[in-house]
Amino acid sequence: MFERFTKQARALVIDTQEQARRMGHGAIGTQHLLLALLAQDERPAALLRNAGVTYAQIETAVRRYLGEPEPALGPEDTEALRAIGIDLDEVRARIEEDFGPSALTPQPPPPPRRRFGLGRRNHEFDPPRPAGDRHIPFTPRAKKVLELSLREAIRLGHRHIGTELILLGLLRESEGLAAKVLADARVDVPALRRQIEASLREAA
Amino acid sequence: MDKATEAATAASSSDPQVGLRAVVALQRLAEALEALQVDNARRKGWSWQQIADALGVSKQAVHKKHAGRPATDPSWRD
Repeated sequence: MFERFTKQARALVIDTQEQARRMGHGAIGTQHLLLALLAQDERPAALLRNAGVTYAQIETAVRRYLGEPEPALGPEDTEALRAIGIDLDEVRARIEEDFGPSALTPQPPPPPRRRFGLGRRNHEFDPPRPAGDRHIPFTPRAKKVLELSLREAIRLGHRHIGTELILLGLLRESEGLAAKVLADARVDVPALRRQIEASLREAA
Repeated sequence: MDKATEAATAASSSDPQVGLRAVVALQRLAEALEALQVDNARRKGWSWQQIADALGVSKQAVHKKHAGRPATDPSWRD
């Protein structure tokens, strides 16, 4: 199935593992496809941002859905804020004066719940990955998204599956976590679909 | 937050990687501060409506976002 994917689409599928690993999730769901799309500097990310969706917002919404704590502000954030002239240590110091020593630290996570990895293994859909990496399986819904991308490619007469088609597949899937957080963000899905299709026609 | 994000992006380096990472950090900081301040307001007896007005969002939005989550560190509770 992956032989029809473009280079960017393969990179995206590989990055879904990184997204899942970074969030501490044991399976790749539709939400990791959405996060990987937003993390790539490609047309789908621009269209999603245009629709009012950002990486941090989706990450937060996903964590909230799964009952996980907000991501901590780590050293990378301190560095990133320094680049635009904000001293996070100073902010932290002021907050802690009023609110105590761990005010900006998120609360410990609740006990993990089993939500993923219940589907049968289907190796045709297992993501390509760099050698030596721990294997993270796709959830049935994430596999469904890739199937739907293929269907969209056929419908639109594309021989290859690019990242736009993966986003179209993602928007066709209506039950996964990606669909839920996009609905919560009040994304106009039909309008976004039209924009993606227009972008594909431009590129053709 | 959007205005702050825009201003910060405009002021930042022209490298998208650096600029966008700063936006993510700002959003995280804003989320953390919002949780802290909403909890503080609730503990001081503010209604969801008052908090929503202060944040410039709907009461439904603020309730949905904050009513169910675990509270921020209560050690400073006053």
